[in-house]
Amino acid sequence: MATSPIIDINTLDVVIDEKAILNQVSFSLSAGEILGLVGPSGCGKTTLLNAIAGFLAPVTGEITIDGKPCFSTNTTVAPEHRHIGVIFQDYALFPHMSVAENIAYGISQYDKHSQQEKVKKLIAMLKLEGFESRYPHQLSGGQQQRVAIARALAPEPKLLLLDEPFSNIDARLRNELMIELRQLLKSLSMTAVFVTHNKDEVFTFADKIAVMHQGHILQFGHPVEVCKQPCSWQVADFLQLGSWLNATLYHDKLDTPLGLLSINNEFDRQDNQIALLIKPQHLKVMVDQHGESVIQHINITEQGYHYIVAPVSSKHDYQLSVYSEQVIQIGQQVQLSIIEHDYILFRRDNGMS
Amino acid sequence: MIEKLVGARFSVNTLLTFLLISLLTLALLMPVLVMFYQGAFAPFSLFSHLWQTVLPQYLSNTVWLGFNVVMLSLLFGGLSALFLHFLPIAGANYLRWLLLLPLAMPAYLIAYLYTDLFDYAGLIQRFLRATFDWQSPNDYWFFDLRTLGGASVIIALVLFPYVYMITRTALENLDPKLLQASQSLGVSPWRGIKRVILPLVRPALAVSASLVLMETLADFATVQYFAVNTLTTAIYDTWLGYSDLATANALASILLLLVFFVVVLEQKSRSKLNAQSQNIALAQTLFKPHKLMLWFATAFCWLLVIAGFLLPLALLLVMAWQYSDSQQLSLLMTIGGNSIYVAGIAATVALLLAIVFTFYRKFSLTTFRQFPLGLSSLGYAIPGTVLAMALLSTFGPIDFWINDIAAAFDLERPGLVLSGTIFAVVFAFVVRFMAIANGTINTGIDQIPDNLIKAAKSLGSGHFSILRRVYLPLLKPSLLVAWLLVFVEAMKELPAVLLLRPFNFETLSTYIYQLISDEQLEQGALGAILIVIFGLIPIIWLNRKQEV
Repeated sequence: MATSPIIDINTLDVVIDEKAILNQVSFSLSAGEILGLVGPSGCGKTTLLNAIAGFLAPVTGEITIDGKPCFSTNTTVAPEHRHIGVIFQDYALFPHMSVAENIAYGISQYDKHSQQEKVKKLIAMLKLEGFESRYPHQLSGGQQQRVAIARALAPEPKLLLLDEPFSNIDARLRNELMIELRQLLKSLSMTAVFVTHNKDEVFTFADKIAVMHQGHILQFGHPVEVCKQPCSWQVADFLQLGSWLNATLYHDKLDTPLGLLSINNEFDRQDNQIALLIKPQHLKVMVDQHGESVIQHINITEQGYHYIVAPVSSKHDYQLSVYSEQVIQIGQQVQLSIIEHDYILFRRDNGMS
Repeated sequence: MIEKLVGARFSVNTLLTFLLISLLTLALLMPVLVMFYQGAFAPFSLFSHLWQTVLPQYLSNTVWLGFNVVMLSLLFGGLSALFLHFLPIAGANYLRWLLLLPLAMPAYLIAYLYTDLFDYAGLIQRFLRATFDWQSPNDYWFFDLRTLGGASVIIALVLFPYVYMITRTALENLDPKLLQASQSLGVSPWRGIKRVILPLVRPALAVSASLVLMETLADFATVQYFAVNTLTTAIYDTWLGYSDLATANALASILLLLVFFVVVLEQKSRSKLNAQSQNIALAQTLFKPHKLMLWFATAFCWLLVIAGFLLPLALLLVMAWQYSDSQQLSLLMTIGGNSIYVAGIAATVALLLAIVFTFYRKFSLTTFRQFPLGLSSLGYAIPGTVLAMALLSTFGPIDFWINDIAAAFDLERPGLVLSGTIFAVVFAFVVRFMAIANGTINTGIDQIPDNLIKAAKSLGSGHFSILRRVYLPLLKPSLLVAWLLVFVEAMKELPAVLLLRPFNFETLSTYIYQLISDEQLEQGALGAILIVIFGLIPIIWLNRKQEV
C-alpha cells in the first residue's frame, strides 16, 4: 500500500508523575489497517491510546493523524478536534440519553433530517433495530458495545481507538463478536488501534501487532512474522511462543541439555550463554525408561495431550511443552529430541526466569 | 494520578477567570477576616478587662458544655449504633431511621418543652406532689433542667444522631469476617468489639465528635433559654444589650479560634477515614446476648428516639391542638412566607456559586483550582452569632460610606442598604451553608465517570457543550438536593437572623424563639411543627442515600 499513513507517531515520550510511561514510541499505520497493541499490564499501551486521543499530553514527539499534525512541540490539538472515534472499555454510554440520542451525540451540528438518516443507517448496520428509544441500562453488554461502536462511527472518524473492547464480553461470544466487528471495520476501510492484554485477540482481530514492554514498542509487524521471528525474548515470552532451554554456544555447535545442535544462522558470538526458544511442534517425545526427562503435568486439550516435561537430574533446569497423541503417565521417564529447524536464539539475560 | 492535560497553557483567559473566582471567594470570607483582624488588634486593655470579669466564666461554660455534649453524644450515638448493629433489637428496622429524627428537632424547642414538663409547675412535679402529698420544694429533691448539665443533655439529645449515623456507616463498612477471625483466634465477640471493632471505628467517632462539638459551639438559643452564659450568648448580649461592638467582636474572635481548633481536629481524623471493605456486616449471629442485656439495649435505643423526637413532637401536637386558631394561622402564613423567601434566595445564590466553584475545580488547569471550593466551604464552621457580628462590623462601615458618598453627590441617603436589609441575612446564609451545596454538587460530579467526558470530547464537544449536554443533565438530582438542603438549613438558622434581620422582619425561627423567650410557645406550636417538618426533609434524603 503506497498511500500516506493515517496515523504517524514519531519518538513519543509521555511522563506521568515524573515517571516515564512511554519512551521513544514510533509507528505508523496505513488506511484500513487494524493494529493490536499488546503487552503486560503497566507497559503503557492504554497511555499510548490516551495520547493518540489527546486525553493526555506527551512531553516530546509528534502525532500526525490523516496528514494533520495533532501534537508536536508547538501544536496541541484538543481531543474534540482530532476526529477520532474512541470505544471505551466500559463503553461510557451517556446514561441520560437513549440509544438514538447517544448515537446522534457527535453529529449534533448536522440538521435534524441528516441526523436521523445517519442514526437509522448505523442502527441497521449494527443490528440495533427496535432498541432506538431504550436507555443504556436496559441493554446487554454486547448491545451496549454496539451502541458505543455506532456512536463512535457516526461522525465518520478517520481513526478508531478501542480500549480493551472485548474484555467485558462473555468468553463464549467473544470470538464471534471479534469476527463480526472486524468484518464491519474492513467493509468501512476503517483504520483502528486497539489495546488488549490477550494475545489471542490480536491474532483474531489485527492486521498488525505491536508488542509493548516498559514503555517501548519491542516489535511491530505482521502477526505471522512476529510469531515466526520474535526480535527479543520478552516478545516470545509474552506471546507464549514456546518454552526456554538454556544452552551454551561453541563455534557452530549449541550444547543443550537435550544434546548438541548444529546451527547455521548468524548470531553474535561474543556471548556464549544462550536461551533457545523451543516451540512445541519442534519437540518429539518418546517413552524411555532411561530417558533424561520426566512427565511433570498433563493438560488435556482439543489438540491431544499437552505434556509439561522436566529434567530428571537436578543439574538441568527446564520446563518444556510438547504435544502428543500418545498417552503417557505422570512420572514416566521420557526421551525428548529437538527436530532440526531454524533455531531461535537469544542472549541470556538476568530478567529471564 | 495527576496527568498533564492537553492545553495546559497559561493564558490571559485562565488568569482572568482565576482572579474573578478568587475575588468571589474572598468576598464571601471577607467579613470574617475583617472581624478577626479587628478582634486581633483590639486594645489589649479590652481583653484584660474581659479576662478579669466575665471571660473565665464564659470560657469554662463553653468548654464544659462542649465536653459534656460530646461525651453524652458518644454514649448515646455510639452505643445505639453498636447495639443496633450487633444485637437483634426489637423494631430494628424502624429504629435504624427513627434514631436520625432528633436531628430535625431544634434543641431550644426541646429545652422549652421539657422545662415545661419537668418544672416545679410542670406536669410531672404536680403529679408527684399530688400523689405523695408533698407541699413545697423542700419536701423532695427534683433535678433542675435549667443548668449547664441540663443544657448538655438537651443538646446531646438532638446531636447524638451525628455520632449514630457516622458510626453505623463505619460499622456496616467493616468486614464481618474480622470478628469471625478474632473469634477463631479464641477471642470472645464482646472482647473482639473492644480489640478489633472500636479501634477501626475510632476515626469515625472522632469525626462525628468534632461535628457535634462544632454544632454545640454554635448553639445559641438553648443556652440563652437556660441562662447558661457561654461565648455565643455573651456575644449576643454585649452587642444587643450594651451595643458594645468591640467587645462582641473580641468574644466572637475567641469563639472562632475555638472553632478552628475543632476544624483542624476534624480534618486530622477525617484523613484517617479510609475506604474500607464494602461488605455489609451480618454480625448479629456472632452474639448470644443475655435476655436482660437485650432488653436494656432495646429500651436504650427506643428511649433515645422517644426523648429526642417522639415525646417533644407529641407535646407540640397537643399544644397545637389546644391553642391553634385561624388568626394564628394567617400570622404563620406571613412569617412562613418570609422564611421561604429569604431561604429560597439564599439557596439559589448558594447553588449558582457552588456550580461556579465546583466546575472551576473540575475544568481549570491551574494548581490552585481546589482553593475556591475549599475556602468557600469554611463558612460552615462559623457559628451564626460570630458570622452575624462579622457582617455587622463589615457592612456597617460600608453602609456609612455609601451614605457619605450619596450625601457628597447631593443624593438622597439610601439608608442601611447592606446591614439593615435582608441582604445581610441572605449573605450570612450563603456563607454559612455554601459548604452543603459545594459538597453535594462536588460529590455528584465525582460520580460521573471520567470516560463519559472523554467520550464527549472524542465526539467533538468542547467545555461548554459538555457542561450543557452531559454534566448538567446528569447532575440534575444533585442540584435539586443541594438547593433543598441549603433551603432547609436556612429555614432553621436562628442566631444569625436574630442579629441581622431588618426591623420588624420575622422568620419562623425568630418568631418561635421570641415566643419561647416570652414563655408562650403555645401561640406558635404550629410554626414549631412546621420547622420540625422542614428539618425532616434532609434527614429523609440522608437516610435514603445511606440505604443505597
